[in-house]
Amino acid sequence: MISQDMPDRLQFKPSKVELDDKVAEAKASLLKSIKRSVYVYRVDCGGCNGCEIEIFASILPVFDVERFGIKVVPSPRHADVLLYTGAVTRAMLQPARRAYDAAPDPKLVVSYGACGCTGGIFYDNYCVWGGTDKILPVDVYIPGCPPTPAQTVYGFAVALGLLEQKLHETHHVEKPGSQAPILHADIPYKLRVSLERDARLMAGYRYGRDLVDDFMEALSPEDTDVIGSIDALIARQQDPRRAEIYGALKQTLLSRVIG
Amino acid sequence: MLKLFKEIRKAGNATVQYPFAPLETSPGTRGKPEHDEMHCIACGACAVACPPDAISMQTDLAAGTTTWGINYGRCIFCGRCEEACPVEAIKLSQEFELAVMSKADLEETCAYELARCAACGKYFAPRKEVDYAKRLLAHAGGPEAAEASDSADICLECKRKADAQHAARHYEAEKKGGVR
Repeated sequence: MISQDMPDRLQFKPSKVELDDKVAEAKASLLKSIKRSVYVYRVDCGGCNGCEIEIFASILPVFDVERFGIKVVPSPRHADVLLYTGAVTRAMLQPARRAYDAAPDPKLVVSYGACGCTGGIFYDNYCVWGGTDKILPVDVYIPGCPPTPAQTVYGFAVALGLLEQKLHETHHVEKPGSQAPILHADIPYKLRVSLERDARLMAGYRYGRDLVDDFMEALSPEDTDVIGSIDALIARQQDPRRAEIYGALKQTLLSRVIG
Repeated sequence: MLKLFKEIRKAGNATVQYPFAPLETSPGTRGKPEHDEMHCIACGACAVACPPDAISMQTDLAAGTTTWGINYGRCIFCGRCEEACPVEAIKLSQEFELAVMSKADLEETCAYELARCAACGKYFAPRKEVDYAKRLLAHAGGPEAAEASDSADICLECKRKADAQHAARHYEAEKKGGVR
């Protein structure tokens, strides 16, 4: 990223295409009474091809967007929707604009994927100008890295006005005096730490936590015998790998408590 | 021809009903990261871990707040925030319907108040984090934890100063032949 103290006149800022009122009006009326298929032209501004693969996956029989009349076309001159994937790179700035200019009005612009929305993981790269919205008026943002076919279908439904968007801007303020609960507070601290460490060592951070949470939940009931509840947990497991990890955690527990 | 139709009928229909029916998601699906405001201690571990810097912490010393924020448009759904979180305050949910018409709708923030240092009075850490650390130390128990808990309200600079003064006193005492 260019440092903040760099003067503005020395920074290149791509100019953005602005819609005039007539086109905006035509677009709104198109959306209101769209009664035909929409043709999509896909523009890769400098992505990793992951988004293209997912676009292809949404055309395949499982999600089959062609049942809604959404068809990917090979020329922007046929397109109603322009699907911009990838962060806008220096080299693809002009081709992206040319594709936009080539498509007939009224047209929808969809920003696809994390890179298309904001520049994604490449947002501070030296040759990246940012998301599609830096150069074009974007109608719908479909986040995801890459968006799954289901996300794509939903995004198109939002773009065509068939579904309402679910996500809205939210700004919270913490409740005064609120306290974060200590997780598994009924288990001695040192035992809890060693169980968490062992589980994460065996199953990795993400799944280690899931496993150790289940294990410590089985530990918690004070009324029945703890070992019995853990044995029941191990016996319940369908996956031998999980059973093995729970067995190892039981050993940790025994060495801590009895040994 | 009839044989072909029979074959097709046997093969069935692979197309899912989504969006007319809810989509079945598997337990490993990595969807929208859900932030739990109550569990969060605003420690910023997720912001450090986040590879695309979708999660940010903005400190406002004038207002005495630190604001946790996420931009879903930049999120790559890797789950590193979930791994890094010490209090299980952020979890990747099954929610995948994230498309929006305006970019501002991809933002979510939550402001947390900062605590002042007991010695110098400057803001130094989120109040919830200090509070959580103290309760966790009390839960851990032992003389070391009690000692650490005593200096939990003090900022790093004042802690250093206190340590230096303690060392100097110790040195003076040793020189006089008092302690040890």
